[in-house]
Amino acid sequence: MKRRVVLVDDHELFRAGVRGELAGVVDVVGEAGSVADAVPLIRELDPDVVLLDVHLPDGGGEGVIAGVAPDRPAVKFLALSVSDAAEDVIGVIRAGARGYVTKTISSSELADAIERVAEGDAVFSPRLAGFVLDAFRAGDQVGGDAELDELTAREREVLQLIARGYRYKEIAARLHLSVKTVEAHVSSVLRKLQLSSRHELSRWAQQRRLV
Amino acid sequence: MSALYFERSGRDRVVAGVCGGIAARLAVDATLVRLVFAILALAGGAGIGIYLALWVYSGGRRTWVAAFLLSCAGAALLIGLGLHGASAIGAILLVAGLAVVLVRGGSLRPGGSLPLVGVALLIAGAVIFLGHSGARGSFIAPGAVLGALVLVVGPWLFRLTAERTERIRLQERADVAARIHDSVLQTLALVQRHADEPTRVAALARRQERELRRWLYGSGVAEAASLVAALADAAADVEELHGVPIELASSGDAPLDDRTRQLVLAAREAMTNAAKFSGAAEIAVYAEADPDSVAVFVRDRGSGFDRATVGADRRGLTDSIEGRLKRAGGAATITTAPGEGTEVELTLPGSRP
Repeated sequence: MKRRVVLVDDHELFRAGVRGELAGVVDVVGEAGSVADAVPLIRELDPDVVLLDVHLPDGGGEGVIAGVAPDRPAVKFLALSVSDAAEDVIGVIRAGARGYVTKTISSSELADAIERVAEGDAVFSPRLAGFVLDAFRAGDQVGGDAELDELTAREREVLQLIARGYRYKEIAARLHLSVKTVEAHVSSVLRKLQLSSRHELSRWAQQRRLV
Repeated sequence: MSALYFERSGRDRVVAGVCGGIAARLAVDATLVRLVFAILALAGGAGIGIYLALWVYSGGRRTWVAAFLLSCAGAALLIGLGLHGASAIGAILLVAGLAVVLVRGGSLRPGGSLPLVGVALLIAGAVIFLGHSGARGSFIAPGAVLGALVLVVGPWLFRLTAERTERIRLQERADVAARIHDSVLQTLALVQRHADEPTRVAALARRQERELRRWLYGSGVAEAASLVAALADAAADVEELHGVPIELASSGDAPLDDRTRQLVLAAREAMTNAAKFSGAAEIAVYAEADPDSVAVFVRDRGSGFDRATVGADRRGLTDSIEGRLKRAGGAATITTAPGEGTEVELTLPGSRP
């Protein structure tokens, strides 16, 4: 069965392009161009995956997730954007998106990413991996849950290879792991990113904004 | 703002830039102004006096005082030249009239009204002056006539230069239109034709953006200030030249100095090699910078190669990448095998002491 997908992006042309690319691979059941339109639409359609622009005129992708997630916990979000500031991307991920890919992604890779997100995996593009490494950069740990606040050496290694452009399969071969284990590491990083109350994370975002 | 407001010209100057300043203020040729002053100077040195008064009061401050001083200077000079009684009064009236006309503003501008009081003073002064100066006024008369002439011809000259400015503006507009036609419209046409090739369209858009920026903001985009920004520029260049998309990821950033600049150049060479020889559909570049070290990875999933088969004459790898890093105090590691793709790892130890 084809995955049911909703597109949320304020550029109609872009939505038309994505819909064309994904035709036959997934079922695009709805589209919206703003937070106000997207929230009721997604609640009504209850799709498998929402492709979400990081920036929307009336708030960001974060607003859409906040409006939908409490009632529709099964809906998965995948952020899709051109080039954004790291703190915005991390913001959408922390709000609940399960991955981030750039708009230059090829059709087959996008379809693959939608499938993985629908299955509950995390999708990290090289760019996102770089941002996450940056956000978790070694710093003094400030209280909180140590397990959530630090990346393990292995997770760091996996993220670095993703940032360098390696696919999960290649990473698995290089680190002598199974693909499933690599996926588990990425999901674990996503969980830490979403649940950590790490002070550095907010301070990092603050600094990025100030720079 | 008064019509008399002017700044002495810093560039266009012979003595103190007064003439240049007036010329700039009235938008007329400075030579013409100098000629007027020269002839007025012949008229009993009046030109010199006026010049000095304007010099002292340049900047448009206290214009009434300037006008008064001008009148005094003119009259004093004329009296000093031996003019008495009626002719001196005439001269004073003449200069005062001239001053009023100038100070009241707008007299030398198209559409500006000529102050009637000033004109009346001017005419009365000229009549009395010319009527009483007789033979001694042979040099003074041309000065007075010339002064009147300036007032009459001034607005016309001004309008002429305004028209010239307008013509220049239209010319510039035509240049802009031609420029946009050659670049932006051509690019848009290309974008329409290649609408189904996103990479091509993106490359076209990026190139056009950079071209337009260079043109709009001078000789080039403000130079990249950080390692990641410079890598992004290099990636865009290579992408544009070879049509292979490059995905750039980064964690941390470093300032651009001599060493990191060498690193960027080496990375650029690695990207170019990947784009030209690997046959890969895309290239991944990752930069990782912290105070201890800077590392850049350039990876492709292309054909790879065997170091042994690369001719010694191929300088790219040894000179542009390995040699460059070595000179900068870092190292380059190339991991490749036929069919395995290539990864070039460039590292520099931290620059912090």
